[in-house]
Amino acid sequence: MKGLYLRWGVLMMVFAVIGFLAISRYNRDVRTISPRVLLSESPSAEKRLMGMIDAGSLKRGSDGVPFRFSLSSEGVKASVIFLGDDTESLRDLKTIVVVGRWKAEKGVFEAAEIRLTPNYNFVTSAYVFSLIPLILLIFSMERRVALLYVMIKEEKVYQAAV
Amino acid sequence: MHFFSVVKWIAWKDLLSEYRNRENISSMFFFALNVILIFSFSFSLDPETLKEIMPGIIWVAFGFTAIIGLGKSFLIEVNNDCMEYFQCLPVPKGAIYLGKFLGNLLFMLTVEIVLFPLFVLFFNLTLLDQFLPLLLISAVATIGLSALGTLFSALTVQIRAREVMFPILLLPLSVPIFIGAVEATRGALSGAPLSSYQHWIELLGVFDVIFVVVSFWIFEFILDY
Amino acid sequence: MVATRFIGWLRRFEKWFGFVAAILIAAGLYTGLVTSSPDYYQGEVVRIMYVHVPFVQTAMLSYFTLFVCSIWYLWKRESVVDNACHAAAGLSLFFTAGGLLTGSIWGKPTWNAWWVWDPRLTSFAILFLTLVGYLMLRTFLEDKEKGATFCAILAIIGFIDLPIIHFSVEWWRSLHQPSSISTRGISIAPDMMVPFTLMGVGVSILFAYMLMVRTQMLYLQHLLEAKQGRLLSEGQFE
Repeated sequence: MKGLYLRWGVLMMVFAVIGFLAISRYNRDVRTISPRVLLSESPSAEKRLMGMIDAGSLKRGSDGVPFRFSLSSEGVKASVIFLGDDTESLRDLKTIVVVGRWKAEKGVFEAAEIRLTPNYNFVTSAYVFSLIPLILLIFSMERRVALLYVMIKEEKVYQAAV
Repeated sequence: MHFFSVVKWIAWKDLLSEYRNRENISSMFFFALNVILIFSFSFSLDPETLKEIMPGIIWVAFGFTAIIGLGKSFLIEVNNDCMEYFQCLPVPKGAIYLGKFLGNLLFMLTVEIVLFPLFVLFFNLTLLDQFLPLLLISAVATIGLSALGTLFSALTVQIRAREVMFPILLLPLSVPIFIGAVEATRGALSGAPLSSYQHWIELLGVFDVIFVVVSFWIFEFILDY
Repeated sequence: MVATRFIGWLRRFEKWFGFVAAILIAAGLYTGLVTSSPDYYQGEVVRIMYVHVPFVQTAMLSYFTLFVCSIWYLWKRESVVDNACHAAAGLSLFFTAGGLLTGSIWGKPTWNAWWVWDPRLTSFAILFLTLVGYLMLRTFLEDKEKGATFCAILAIIGFIDLPIIHFSVEWWRSLHQPSSISTRGISIAPDMMVPFTLMGVGVSILFAYMLMVRTQMLYLQHLLEAKQGRLLSEGQFE
């Protein structure tokens, strides 16, 4: 029994390390902020902003003038200047993620890249709902087998149950 | 020719006992009648939508017929302790399966033939010009339902909860029959030529052949305890 | 006695299977969640595929194992093989349920639908229902040997039926709607092949390990009941 718990302890630590690395990668590469956070904190580093393009706010610039639109989420708007190339996917009322920097003096977010919405709650729930029952099932089966071996050894053969 | 005489004898026994007290057929018929009545109350008689869902209603009713009627295939033998006598017959035990299968097939076809005029009555269908294709579709699909139903009835007849277990086993595995029958009936009712839906009938035919053959060979093991 | 030798063999080798499976799955999770990059079309959601596809593959592998063990049981009538059948059915149900659940979670952000009546999905759901019926049949039949025989028959019939169901639904969908939905329509970048392969092989070996453990568990439960005098016939054991 002790070997069982030891093995599982090591395994759980390995999975905890992997989980921690996955979460840190999420925070580093995937995590997005909303316009409310952008306007209240005014960070200077490169950030990923997620919001819905407001209806009618998409202004296509003529040659030399870049795209402008405003992203909103939870009622807060942030205006975005988009300097990048792939502008075909921009539409009204679409939820997108733009990567860029907040220019506080101009009050706009200068973005160069568009990303897909991460939908990470789906990913997390899929992993949680599949791997955790799997781990529980394997653990309970192994524990039961170990207990059965102990019980069979203790059970004397030619003694009727009272 | 001992084999075929056993098949004939078992089928004849079932038909005769059914003819004398018509309890099985009448329960199948009245249950299907109830299903048809409930469907005709619950759906409004808008002719467009009715034409869409009519094949589904027909085959749900026939499916319920199968569930009610086929589960009791071996009940008489089990109640009268005759299952061991089947073991003594010097023929492949698949002969017993074929006899029961033919009896069930005839019961179900009888009920279906009686039910079709009721569909015409309640849902204002015009079936007479499509009579032969519909007969063919019903026959082929009922062969499949009968084949599966007789086999699963042999598996579940000795369980206390047989009324519950029989539909649970039958319905998932008879999905191809229902899909094929509904699609073929839809083609027939819409007046399309036979060639446009004949591949559904071919699918049903393939299913029937596979299932009758497999059940025939596997029946040996069911009686082998 | 053959059964005891077989169980001793299982005891010796299962640790290796478990160890290899644990390593492969840990490596697969690491490459899947930490080092691989998101897909061009699907974004981060493609990471669900790293658990969904292995679960579905393992579900089909486990049903095939159930089929083979059922034929073996009908041929040899050994009680240990029946334990393996029961174990394989339980695990098959687990992996099928997991596959359906993860597939549904993948489908919502990708197709904006929790469920579609696709050939693959329909035949997979039918597989789930067949396995539920199998386990219920085993529970309801009190006589163990008859239960084992009937369940083996049901597993064989179900296995023969699954390809028919798949083809009939595929025929049906292709007539109703040109099937433009597929779960893996895009060619896979090499960056994503690594977690796919690692998780696929890892979960399959994990299934082998779980089958060994569960067969042992059922056999030992049987043995314990025999030793405690609760079984009427102890003919399988010395």
